[in-house]
Amino acid sequence: MVKKINGQEFQTEAKAADVAVVDFNATWCGPCKMLAPILEAVSEEMAGQVSFYALDVDDNPDVAAEYRVQSIPCLVLMKKGQFVDQSIGFKPQPAISAWVKGNL
Amino acid sequence: MERYDIAIIGTGPAGLEAAITGTIRNKKVLLVGSKNLSMKLTKAHEIQNYLGFPAVKGEDLAKAFQKHLDQLGIGITEERISAVYAMGDYYAMQAGEQMLEATTVILATGVVQGKPLPGEEENLGHGVSYCATCDAALVRGKRVAVVGYSAREEAEAAFLSEICPEVLYFPMYRDVNQLPEKVTVIPETVNEVRKQAGKMTIYTSENSYTAEAVFVLREAVAPGQLVPGLETEGAHVRVNRRMETNLPGCYACGDLTGTPYQYIKAAGEGNIAALSAVGYLDQKKHRE
Repeated sequence: MVKKINGQEFQTEAKAADVAVVDFNATWCGPCKMLAPILEAVSEEMAGQVSFYALDVDDNPDVAAEYRVQSIPCLVLMKKGQFVDQSIGFKPQPAISAWVKGNL
Repeated sequence: MERYDIAIIGTGPAGLEAAITGTIRNKKVLLVGSKNLSMKLTKAHEIQNYLGFPAVKGEDLAKAFQKHLDQLGIGITEERISAVYAMGDYYAMQAGEQMLEATTVILATGVVQGKPLPGEEENLGHGVSYCATCDAALVRGKRVAVVGYSAREEAEAAFLSEICPEVLYFPMYRDVNQLPEKVTVIPETVNEVRKQAGKMTIYTSENSYTAEAVFVLREAVAPGQLVPGLETEGAHVRVNRRMETNLPGCYACGDLTGTPYQYIKAAGEGNIAALSAVGYLDQKKHRE
């Protein structure tokens, strides 16, 4: 499951997770919409290992700025709140899956 | 939503032959391209080695192709596909505001001329963007630049001017139309884009300009950019003898797969691509 969070939950929940993938997106962004079901599938595949979150950049511009997100969709992978890697743009499921696994 | 069996992108000899073969094989085909077929074809002075048409003018060969399409009742959808998304068991294609769906996709877009600007690819997502509508909100209230390769991109510059106080527009073509007041048209050729102190610098033959972000908008997008996740080799798509790409259900044919850039080779590859797509569809149906 990909949990929709706000800026506050980003600080308290996503940063506290052992491994978190945060999807920075917006409602009007085409590639973001297409990536959503793929991320949902990857989150099922890795349930229990990685926590998945979605954050709207329009509602939370401060978090987007903090992570220097300039192009969406942007996935940020963090371990206990520490930035590890990011993936920009739409990618097919095997590529997203491999990217997450490669960072574990 | 209506889901096609085979979506074909491109209306040169490769795309047309793929559409003809797919239609003959009773598949629901979507052919996307131009009603004028292909500039490379129609502008050809004389083609000497197309089987059955000795010393034919490109224009005349195009007419014969059109007649063939008409006989089979194949229509051409005039849309510009800006992205193809591999969704797993189907493909979603962005056509303007609209999303089209197909189980398989055949790429027959021809080869993209022109290399990226120095500094363009390195800064993609960090100051360089290919999609104004996607990334507009992230540059709200900032000074931005647009490098437009065709008059079509003027609409994107106008759109950005609604949310940005200043838009620098660099037309890489002639005859720019009237643009909104907040768009400054700079008729200089852009040679390079660089990131400096968190901002982008745009170098032209004459001057340099700074902006928060640069939107590089081209008529034809590179194949790897059109289909995220697609394996490419330079300007070409990597395929095997069955015209299969690395993405299951996605095929490429014609100039897009590499040299020789010959009309008859393109048509032949279009035929193979369509037959491979038909095989994939039949197998998929079997499994279900």
